[in-house]
Amino acid sequence: MDPSSPQGTPISEEEALSRLRQQEDASQRYYAAWWLGRMRSQHPEAIPLLLQALNGALDAPSNDPDLLFVARNATRALGKLEAKGALPPLLRALQHPDHGLREAAARSIGELGDASAIPALVARLQLPGAAEAASGGLRLGEPCEALLEALGELSEGQANPELSAVLEGFQHHSRPVVRSAACRALLQLSGDPRWAEPMLALLHDGQLQVRRAALMDLGASGWRPAGQALADCLAENSLKLIALKGLVEAPLGCPAPQALGAPERELLNLMDQLL
Amino acid sequence: MNPELSPNVNEHLRAVEEAASSEALLHATRSLVSLCAQLEPHSNDQQAAILCLLELLGTNNPGAAVAAVDGLIACGNAAVEPLLHNLDEHNYGARAWAVRALASIGDPRGLPVLERAVATDIGPSVRRAAARGLGNLQLEQLLAAERPRIVERCLRGLALGCADGEWVVRYAAVVGLEGFLPQASAAGIPGAIAKEGRSLLEQRALTSEEDTPVVYLRAQQALENLSGAR
Repeated sequence: MDPSSPQGTPISEEEALSRLRQQEDASQRYYAAWWLGRMRSQHPEAIPLLLQALNGALDAPSNDPDLLFVARNATRALGKLEAKGALPPLLRALQHPDHGLREAAARSIGELGDASAIPALVARLQLPGAAEAASGGLRLGEPCEALLEALGELSEGQANPELSAVLEGFQHHSRPVVRSAACRALLQLSGDPRWAEPMLALLHDGQLQVRRAALMDLGASGWRPAGQALADCLAENSLKLIALKGLVEAPLGCPAPQALGAPERELLNLMDQLL
Repeated sequence: MNPELSPNVNEHLRAVEEAASSEALLHATRSLVSLCAQLEPHSNDQQAAILCLLELLGTNNPGAAVAAVDGLIACGNAAVEPLLHNLDEHNYGARAWAVRALASIGDPRGLPVLERAVATDIGPSVRRAAARGLGNLQLEQLLAAERPRIVERCLRGLALGCADGEWVVRYAAVVGLEGFLPQASAAGIPGAIAKEGRSLLEQRALTSEEDTPVVYLRAQQALENLSGAR
């Protein structure tokens, strides 16, 4: 299970806000921050409290593990809530020494949809050692996958040769999931189907984890010709359904569908087979 | 080797047991599944194959699990009792596949499991499979006197699915309702049930009620299909 989505007893919005407000128990704050994002809370206090939780870690003189633990989930929730005003602290979080916080910040910045963040994301990717294994090989110097995916989200349909050149630098990376994220971003940026090819090939990779990454990247790209290939991929139906939902709701290069047409029917039919 | 089984089945079961890689397991599962359609219903061979397929639902190999579900569906009603008695309480991935098989077979004996799953299972994928299955029960297998009560229970479950917090469960309930309504009216069910089912679909089709585009689009499609089929 995704460690960022703790399962717990259902709580009310008031309860979540009060758990985030208190300072004594970090695990309660952690759960509350996750809950507010997951439930797409519209409460006026939700975003200010989440910002407080993030700033608490950013302003701490040293790396307090409890504060960081809460701040990572607050960062994710700010993205889910599309809190536009959170961009400045998220950009600060992108510079934080904690890899997990940077990764969460990159994803949330992608969700905010503000293209003015592009140079900051590119700068992280271009740091020396960004794409090389660090911390005993478990992860890269920078959260490249998250950075690349965010760049794809923010640059959809905007031809940008400089950015393309940076992204293309990752298409031969040793890790397939990084290659997939780079191709997704290039596909979103250019609309050029040649960038879909490497992801379609990764749908047949021997590793389930790689197939899952390619599946989610193609779904997030909105490139509809991938529909049948997503449905046929050897992965969990729940992931295939999420990926196909992405193709229906946010097609690459055209506006979200307001009504049903033949392409939507075809995709819905693929989804029906996976229930 | 089990002496009560034919050599061919023994050989296929051993291939599954001895598969050393996920590709080998997928391959062995697929060839066992293709054998399933030829096995005599309720024979020892078929029962042994069914038990083996049930175990495969719990392996972390989605390809093999998909094939195993197909095999169980091919065994039809003979797979229902073993499925009902081997639900894995600790593995919701496996439970989702088992509920999916029950949902596709459509045997009314599966109703209590589908009802409970849609109402209480913690796994959205289990609730999803159950919601679709509630719209796919083979009502003609029931005595006419039993039908109204069973149809009512299906509708209650589908209504829960339509109100679920997860979009994918609501989506499955919409697909379930689209299958359920024509079946229910063919089975001579009171108009009130059909009306309630239709109004559940109409609600899901409204952008003011349903926030997930793929769900309201699917509900709109269901309503179009139903009025076209009339």
